[in-house]
Amino acid sequence: MIRLSLLAAVLMVVLPATAPAQAPAPAQTPATAQTPAPAQAAAPAQASAPAGDSAAGAQKIEMCIGCHGIVGWRTAFPEVYKVPKIGGQHEAYIVRALQAYRAGERSHPSMKAIAATLSDKDIADLAAYYSGALPKTASK
Amino acid sequence: MMKKPVLGLLAMMMLGAASAALAADLKAGEAKVKAVCQACHGADGNSQNADYPKLGGQYPDYLAKALRDYKSGARKNPIMGAFAGTLSTADIENVAAYYAAQPAVLVTRH
Repeated sequence: MIRLSLLAAVLMVVLPATAPAQAPAPAQTPATAQTPAPAQAAAPAQASAPAGDSAAGAQKIEMCIGCHGIVGWRTAFPEVYKVPKIGGQHEAYIVRALQAYRAGERSHPSMKAIAATLSDKDIADLAAYYSGALPKTASK
Repeated sequence: MMKKPVLGLLAMMMLGAASAALAADLKAGEAKVKAVCQACHGADGNSQNADYPKLGGQYPDYLAKALRDYKSGARKNPIMGAFAGTLSTADIENVAAYYAAQPAVLVTRH
């Protein structure tokens, strides 16, 4: 039992850090193919925070769903509690949370490791996806 | 022979943890929420203002962990640090249990 949870803890920290190397490249292709005019949409925003694209976000959730996609999933390290529900949360709050993890202001090891791999655009897209209208099949 | 006392101890620990979780006082939590939290997060945790996260139906142990971290300073936020600093350990459990018991506005999305 103890060995298993230790292993899980190590995996939670290590896996997310290794995943992004393969993930983003193939994920981009379908998203840009479906979205006709990203250049126009992005232009007015300019230097400020990029606009979130829920469809693009849906292609980037592979690092999230292992914990946030499972009802009642618990963290294993360094403290045990249920991983928060983030579906339907305010978009701006999700952006700030990910920025805070990336900046080291919030200290969960797995979240810091994952957020460190995210660009501003990734964060905006993920926040748009998770805050967005929920599918009817979404479970509690 | 050797395993039985260990199992008994484990069972006692699990029961202890379960009764501690059940011990949260929803009425006291509601009173605290109305006095301290609802101005920003709403009485049901469904804040309409994007500056404040929605809490309704969130897992109670996550809410309690967040409050403990604000109180200890492990998680830094001037507003939440000040409010959480006024909460006792029991207040934290009660408030967390109260918001967790509200209709869920948050869901697990996958």
